[in-house]
Amino acid sequence: MRYGGSDGLTSFLYNRIAVFRAERGVSRRQLAEAVGVNNQTIGYLERGDYKPSLELAMKIAAYFAVPIELLFSFQPFEPVADTLRRAAAEGPS
Amino acid sequence: MTLLQRLDNFVYATRLDRVLFRQIRPRTLRWTPLFVLAALTVGYVLMAKTVERPDRAFFVGLLLFYGAYMAAGFLRIFGPRFVTTARHPLDEREMTVKMRAYALSGILLVGITMTGCFYLASAGVLGLWQPASPNDWIALGFGVQAAAMLLPTMIASWIEPRALPADD
Repeated sequence: MRYGGSDGLTSFLYNRIAVFRAERGVSRRQLAEAVGVNNQTIGYLERGDYKPSLELAMKIAAYFAVPIELLFSFQPFEPVADTLRRAAAEGPS
Repeated sequence: MTLLQRLDNFVYATRLDRVLFRQIRPRTLRWTPLFVLAALTVGYVLMAKTVERPDRAFFVGLLLFYGAYMAAGFLRIFGPRFVTTARHPLDEREMTVKMRAYALSGILLVGITMTGCFYLASAGVLGLWQPASPNDWIALGFGVQAAAMLLPTMIASWIEPRALPADD
């Protein structure tokens, strides 16, 4: 089991690169070329096998034009289905 | 057709261009370097045992040892990427893997060399085998070089997660 949080012992960095990539219809290769890395590196990032440098994380966030904390987090991201359900329950603002 | 054009065609026809321009997809070679190291060791032992009166075993050892030495050079091409090219520079992850692999290999090689020095210092006293002929020393030198080529590939293959399937 993976634990999030920066407890000094384990810090797993969760990310939503795959979600954003799928939503924008961007291939791994396209994203890799845009941020200047090997496309295998994007795969390892998505799989959680590699933690990016701050520079790379910011480049990816800039590519998707979103704040960095929307892409990377020490806490697990809420599933998209839950977010949509919550948004529907709250109703239009 | 000029000789240079023929040579150029030969390179592309044999797909050597993929090796020369490092277009080969990197693989994780976790166990192959161990087999090559084993072949180096067995080859060296066979040569060292029969160096004074070379027989069939000596030549088998010679072939095994220098075959493994060449394989050590080739494995670097097929393993994790260590060399940057104009088209494919190493990215930050690959640089990190390379640095860690070389650092660990250095530590291992220092340990092996130290152990070897201590062994050589005591082998004479204890009546154990030690390299004596020029062939023993030359092969030992090549063996250390082969280990220095193999260890980074092997360590990087263990550091790096298994390669992902081909991308979309």
